[in-house]
Amino acid sequence: MTRALNQRVSEFRARVLVRSWEYRQRHHARGVWFRLRRVLAGASAAFVVSAVDAAALAAEGYRFEPISRALEPQKSILFVPAERVARIASARAIAVRLSRELLEAQYLVLTPFDA
Amino acid sequence: MSFRDRLLATIRAARPVLEVPEVLVVGSEVPNLLEPEAASTLVVSQDLDIGVPVNRHASVKARLAEMMPSLTPSPEEPSVWTPRSPDLLEVNFVGIDRSRDPTDAYVLEDDQLPLLVFGALSLVTAGAEVELAGTRVRLPRPAGLLLEKLVTDRTGNKGDRDLLVALGLLMTAGPPDLDELDALYGTLRPELRHVVRSNLTVLSLLEPASGMPDPRPQRATVASLLRRLEQVEGGIG
Repeated sequence: MTRALNQRVSEFRARVLVRSWEYRQRHHARGVWFRLRRVLAGASAAFVVSAVDAAALAAEGYRFEPISRALEPQKSILFVPAERVARIASARAIAVRLSRELLEAQYLVLTPFDA
Repeated sequence: MSFRDRLLATIRAARPVLEVPEVLVVGSEVPNLLEPEAASTLVVSQDLDIGVPVNRHASVKARLAEMMPSLTPSPEEPSVWTPRSPDLLEVNFVGIDRSRDPTDAYVLEDDQLPLLVFGALSLVTAGAEVELAGTRVRLPRPAGLLLEKLVTDRTGNKGDRDLLVALGLLMTAGPPDLDELDALYGTLRPELRHVVRSNLTVLSLLEPASGMPDPRPQRATVASLLRRLEQVEGGIG
């Protein structure tokens, strides 16, 4: 009578095991997805920009997010205030989500939420 | 018949067990019931989850027969009671065992009412009582239910919808609820605190789902909660 319930418990425990395994990997390569989501969760908007504009922003002192170098191919992801983004000619807005468009972007500028 | 009417009719039909002390409505219908006049505008699965503390299992069993005119136990899974009329929803009984770890689950074996007991429901405690359909319905405190939603594994479409339910709870939470959430969060072990933050990042990037509130306008609120929990994390060291 409780076979279905016991099956659900088995599946639940299997998911907990996988989750624990993922947690232990949070500082390793597999943890990149949480770290990328965390960066994006802090962004109110996202823009694809040109290599030249990304370099210019870096020269102005905006720093690349560490997650930029944890992906392959590597990306350039920077947080920049919206007022500065408004002056970037190449900036093209994209949705803040794990889309193909975002993942394919090599130079990505994010605007932060107001704290 | 509207979904709200079916939900209220189901509450009326389940009144005998909902009146048992410590029994709670849990699950995704809670935000529907928290809406003004239980407006029930969130589209969720068509069932009413009733949380039964394991120490109240016998008391609930003693009242089950009174539901029989409207509901009948599923032969395949007797923790689910199916409606005799299309005007009602299914009733799904789940167990609450406060002695269990939030990552644990077990089956409380019983011939009449077996229960799947979720350890994460130990985070849920009784909150407001509301009068609905002539029944005093005990709802969970928002902070505990919100944390339960965020600490549970969320995969697939159901997981996304459960996260949107968490968002619904977050949108109605007041400052005292968030303070309570901070305190509860701080009691979790590091792995579970990570799961909570991870689920919030998933929620932040969710696309709108049919019949559910668009989560995108609430991304700042989610980001704020993430920062808040990270501050708690810093305090824990």
